[in-house]
Amino acid sequence: MQGFIYPNEFELHWGLLVVLYPYITGLVAGAFILASLERVFNVKEVQPTYRLALLTALAFLLVAPLPLLAHLGHPERSYEIFLTPNRQSAMAMFGFVYAWYLAVVLLLEIWFDYRQDMVLWARQSTGLKKWVYYALALGSTDLSEKALKFDDSAGRWITVIGIPSAFLLHGYVGFIFGSIKANPWWSSVLMPVVFLFSAMVSGIALVLVLYMITTMFRWRRIDMACLDKLAQFLFYAMVVDFSLEMLDFIHRLYESEESIEILGQMIESRLFISLIVLQIFMGSVVPLVALGLVSPGLRKGGFVRVPPELKQFVYFTAAVLVQIGIFSIRWNVVIGGQLFSKSLRGLTVYKVELLGLEGLAMTIGLLALPFVILWVLVKLLPPWQSDEEVAPA
Amino acid sequence: MPQQVPRLIAVFVVALAALIGARMALVPDTFGDLGHYRAAAVDSITAHPKKYAGHAECSLCHGPIAEQRLTSNHRTVTCEVCHGPAAQHTTAPMDIKPTAPRERGLCPLCHSYNPSRPTGFPQIDEVAHNPLTPCITCHDPHAPEPPEVPEECSACHGQIARQKAVSHHTNLQCTVCHEAREEHKVNPRANRPSKPVQRSFCGVCHAQDDLSGERIPQIDLRSHGEPYMCWQCHYPHRPESG
Ligand code: HEC
Ligand code: HEC
Ligand code: HEC
Ligand code: HEC
Ligand code: HEC
Ligand code: HEC
Ligand code: HEC
Ligand code: HEC
Repeated sequence: MQGFIYPNEFELHWGLLVVLYPYITGLVAGAFILASLERVFNVKEVQPTYRLALLTALAFLLVAPLPLLAHLGHPERSYEIFLTPNRQSAMAMFGFVYAWYLAVVLLLEIWFDYRQDMVLWARQSTGLKKWVYYALALGSTDLSEKALKFDDSAGRWITVIGIPSAFLLHGYVGFIFGSIKANPWWSSVLMPVVFLFSAMVSGIALVLVLYMITTMFRWRRIDMACLDKLAQFLFYAMVVDFSLEMLDFIHRLYESEESIEILGQMIESRLFISLIVLQIFMGSVVPLVALGLVSPGLRKGGFVRVPPELKQFVYFTAAVLVQIGIFSIRWNVVIGGQLFSKSLRGLTVYKVELLGLEGLAMTIGLLALPFVILWVLVKLLPPWQSDEEVAPA
Repeated sequence: MPQQVPRLIAVFVVALAALIGARMALVPDTFGDLGHYRAAAVDSITAHPKKYAGHAECSLCHGPIAEQRLTSNHRTVTCEVCHGPAAQHTTAPMDIKPTAPRERGLCPLCHSYNPSRPTGFPQIDEVAHNPLTPCITCHDPHAPEPPEVPEECSACHGQIARQKAVSHHTNLQCTVCHEAREEHKVNPRANRPSKPVQRSFCGVCHAQDDLSGERIPQIDLRSHGEPYMCWQCHYPHRPESG
């Protein structure tokens, strides 16, 4: 701690778990928006990732509220948010935003997309598995052309509703921070927009990584056209995201409110690693340059022509760096907003604890959980096309 | 109608019915009558048995201690903060006696060093300050005072002294700007030192036409920062930081 701080600012109240929460919801919204792009705009190349993206969104969405429950410390009371809705509070309305997105958008879209397969799987398998698929399909076994057509158009409509819903889900998280007018680091109308685009960036990067890993483990050949398209999307989303962030930054500098000095000090000292090094340099500039050179984002085939293996490596590394960068963004927003005193005269420090309900171990556990859920989902509802070619061994 | 629709509708109807059912069963009757909470909670809280008596009660039987505390440094710390809830003791004083915190543990809750405590609040380093001996061997809990009066202002105003030490004002004694009587060090809040009140005070050294040495940076007192006090922009204990 340095300078002057008020007594209630010495300890940070929103810790690592509150960093995790916007990170995870961002991944959900991003993965979903990627899937929707494919569906609504009919981008054929990224077809192989469509279902994977949906299942990823679902796996992360199921985990999204857990950091908050662990942070608040009374998970057994959480259902009350639904029973006694408080319309005055944006935070209290989260339950409904969440339920809408989970039940009306994501589950329905997955259901319509998988219904035909579930019916087929139910017919092929025996024993318990048969009944599981039958139940999952809600016993709706009609596979006539008319019924399948209905699945398709219903799915499309839900996607159309889903895009604004995904915007709502993550825009909401940005709104929570952006609307705290007493905090100059948070209070900004750009906040929801920046959150949204960083969500898209992180979601696309995650699906890219997952696609590469799952394909490798299934000993299939990576579809380069798909990967190129993903990298291209990632590049565009990053350009918009990075410009918005810089716009926000320049706007603050130009506005030069009285908080600018302490915020400057904070960036130079407390946030130097996480903001300048991780977020801007490693998480934005390096991947942007790499993708700009190699991906078809700026020029068909990329500026530098490289063999596919190297290209895959570049994409993979860029996507992992982007994840680190986006996590740093969440960190810088949540932790940064609490490191400086409202007296604008001092800075405090944040020490991450290892164990405990809000510690590092919990965070790592909660970060690993979606992957476990995803594994189960993939086992239950394989997202791969059956007619994919088998790679030479 | 396609086969899917009625089944999905059924699922949503069940979910909705479950929500409505849960609302009817679980939301308490008086919820929302007064605000976003259960109105009857107010009654159930007032029905709790009283645990604290309040310090006025204590003075009925412990007159001398109560009077002593009222004029001491602990006048803002009431009896039950240290002795625990004692309402039962007031009705059956001989049978139920409150505890008295004779160990070292209690006092540091308020007095161990914590940078966010207000300036001038008496703070000690629990580990280094006369270790192993209970605080009450040297300090009277009902009328605490340091057994020896500290000499330096920095004993109590450490934060300010440390700031000043690295600032351009490092060579100025505190007493150049504050008139502090000796009693301030014994009973600080009752004998407050003076603080500068006029811009001209800083002007003694910083105005362009003053007689001080040329080493001191100078400003035009009539125009610089008018009409605000100097310390609204410059923190006096570290003037260059403002
Ligand atoms: C009705 C009179 C009465 C009131 C009111 C009363 N006390 Fe007492 N208190 C006594 C008596 C009598 C004793 C026992 C003295 C003894 O044992 O020598 C006592 C003893 C104590 C002791 C000493 C216990 C010990 O272990 O030595 C404490 C501490 C104490 N009271 C605190 C309080 C506080 C705090 C209050 C106010 C909430 C309070 N008392 C109100 C009569 C009272
Ligand atoms: C800062 C904490 C603190 C506060 C406030 C405080 N006490 Fe005490 N009190 C103590 C401690 C510690 C002892 C034990 C002293 C000892 O054993 O020498 C004590 C002892 C006592 C005793 C036992 C008799 C004695 O003198 O040893 C009585 C009675 C008592 N307190 C009453 C009160 C009353 C009444 C008040 C409020 C007017 C009060 N106390 C406020 C800490 C406190
Ligand atoms: C509930 C908080 C609290 C507790 C517990 C407490 N104190 Fe205090 N103490 C205070 C306050 C408030 C002051 C007055 C500070 C001021 O005047 O700025 C004070 C003042 C003092 C002072 C005077 C210091 C000075 O330089 O003037 C001493 C000594 C002291 N306490 C010792 C103790 C001891 C010994 C105990 C344990 C028996 C104790 N305190 C428990 C709050 C507390
Ligand atoms: C051996 C005697 C002794 C013991 C035991 C002792 N103190 Fe002190 N205390 C002193 C003396 C002497 C001073 C004044 C000189 C100084 O500041 O060190 C003092 C000063 C203080 C002050 C005033 C500091 C300031 O800057 O205003 C506080 C508060 C205080 N003590 C609290 C405590 C607490 C709490 C404990 C128990 C954890 C304790 N003391 C134990 C002797 C003692
Ligand atoms: C025993 C501890 C102690 C010592 C020694 C001490 N002070 Fe203080 N001082 C205090 C306390 C306690 C306050 C009240 C702080 C508050 O109310 O926020 C205070 C307040 C002040 C104030 C502000 C008064 C106001 O009205 O806001 C000034 C100025 C000050 N002290 C100057 C000094 C100077 C100069 C010295 C050295 C000559 C000194 N003090 C030594 C404890 C001390
Ligand atoms: C250059 C003159 C100057 C010197 C030297 C100086 N002060 Fe001050 N001090 C001020 C002024 C001016 C204020 C009033 C600030 C205000 O009203 O906002 C002040 C306010 C204070 C206060 C009130 C609380 C606060 O932080 O505003 C305390 C306590 C204090 N001074 C203590 C000290 C001590 C202790 C020293 C020596 C280590 C010291 N001062 C040296 C000018 C000075
Ligand atoms: C007793 C003379 C004296 C008084 C009174 C005084 N100062 Fe100073 N001031 C100095 C000296 C000496 C320096 C240091 C010059 C140097 O850098 O060597 C200084 C430096 C400064 C500076 C730093 C300028 C820079 O170089 O950045 C500021 C600002 C300042 N004082 C403001 C104030 C204010 C505000 C007050 C009234 C609360 C005040 N001074 C009262 C003597 C004084
Ligand atoms: C409205 C805010 C404000 C007020 C009020 C104010 N100042 Fe300043 N002062 C400043 C700023 C800003 C600077 C830096 C300007 C610069 O570097 O040119 C400064 C610079 C100074 C300097 C350094 C000049 C130099 O040459 O390095 C001194 C000395 C100073 N002020 C003293 C004072 C004194 C004495 C007062 C009260 C009479 C005062 N100030 C009132 C804002 C203010």
